[in-house]
Amino acid sequence: MKNLLLSSFIGLVLSSCSFGLYGRYSEVTQAYSTYPKAIFGDNFNSFLFKTNITVYGKDYSGLLVTKQMSPQDYRVIFTTELGMKLFDFEFKDTAFTLHYCVPQFNKPKLLKVIQKDIEVLLMNNLSSKKTELYRDKEGLLSIHKIEFGPTQNYYFIEKSSQHLIKIEQAKKRRKKTTFTLSNYQADFPGNILIQHHDIKLKIELNLLKK
Amino acid sequence: MYKFNSNTIVFDISASTQNAQTDGPIESMIKHRTERHTERSRSVLFSTTVTIILFISSFTFAQVPAGFKPVKDTTAFKQKMEAQSKLISTLESDFTQEKYLSVMSEKIISKGHFHFKKVNMLRWEYNEPYKYLIAINKDKMFIKDNGKVSKYDINSNKMFKSINEMMVNTVQGNLLNNKDYKAKFYENEKFYMLELSPLQKGAKDFLKVIQLYINKTDYAVDKVKMIEPSDDYTSIDFSNRKTNQPIADEKFIIK
Repeated sequence: MKNLLLSSFIGLVLSSCSFGLYGRYSEVTQAYSTYPKAIFGDNFNSFLFKTNITVYGKDYSGLLVTKQMSPQDYRVIFTTELGMKLFDFEFKDTAFTLHYCVPQFNKPKLLKVIQKDIEVLLMNNLSSKKTELYRDKEGLLSIHKIEFGPTQNYYFIEKSSQHLIKIEQAKKRRKKTTFTLSNYQADFPGNILIQHHDIKLKIELNLLKK
Repeated sequence: MYKFNSNTIVFDISASTQNAQTDGPIESMIKHRTERHTERSRSVLFSTTVTIILFISSFTFAQVPAGFKPVKDTTAFKQKMEAQSKLISTLESDFTQEKYLSVMSEKIISKGHFHFKKVNMLRWEYNEPYKYLIAINKDKMFIKDNGKVSKYDINSNKMFKSINEMMVNTVQGNLLNNKDYKAKFYENEKFYMLELSPLQKGAKDFLKVIQLYINKTDYAVDKVKMIEPSDDYTSIDFSNRKTNQPIADEKFIIK
């Protein structure tokens, strides 16, 4: 009985911790059927970003190009300003293909993190996931919570503009990564900042051309 | 702080790729032969031989870029290039850079301006559609990006050293004597075309060939094309070229 009480108490503490991170938002409905609109899902367009990746004090700068090849197929290529290709990724449905990577950039852990970050931005295959809808106290935001295995992504949509302004990724009740989308022009963010909280990695994307 | 950037690009003419293209039809023709009687097999053998000869001759032909023919007197060309290069003390020009990626429908176009001063001072500056500046001042390299200036010792990093050599030699048309590349010389009515294939394995991984288009009237480099193993390429066209105008040394120090 004592053990049961202790387990219940620990369970209660843990569940209130899990609420601690996003407790300021109240749940509207579970099994919500509408999903956040994909940022890049825009008629097979390509997008060009001036990009800076800062990882543990090292700076990598260049141009990032994204191209939607088919509804669930995206190509993402990173080159230096001088034209040298650094990596070439393809995201098709749930599959990932590394088409090319310059040896100097071929660090498996770094590539994996960048791949996962881009996957979050591409928002491929969201509709196969279970989503819950939350709102803030002021009623300014709609917040979609979607589970990806042990990771939860929270998509913050500004109600007035319907713009996705932030994605937060959490794992084991800890905030892992924040994606901030700002300076919207014609319903597309002019600036995207990806800030990791558990490793020293920051990616800045500034739109040059749509 | 370490800033990763390089202008070195590449490709290799892979024998296996060529074989993959040629073996298919030949193999299928040989299979074909075994299924037919002797009389017809002679005819197929003949056509196979013809096919092989055609493939071989087309490969030989394909090595010369379209619209060009090999330069007969390469020594005279080299001497002329070197003599012209010696006459230049400063150089500046606008440039337009095009990045071709096969998967993209449009090229990425950036524009800028460069200054060069002997010996070994280069300012390479992008103005559109982004601001980005690389300056080389003898053994120092500066990069200005997002208003932030980073300074590097060229000799501290092999990659910076190769960027320096590549950029300075390209601007001067001085890659002729570089032992890291195998040079081939072509010409048409308007241009000499110097085609450089990297010999070192590291460079071959990402650069197939560099083509320098040298104007026959003044021996200036009008265009540089760097082709990657995937056949994606970066081409840089130079315009509004000015030679031997005074350029202050301060232009090559970035603060």
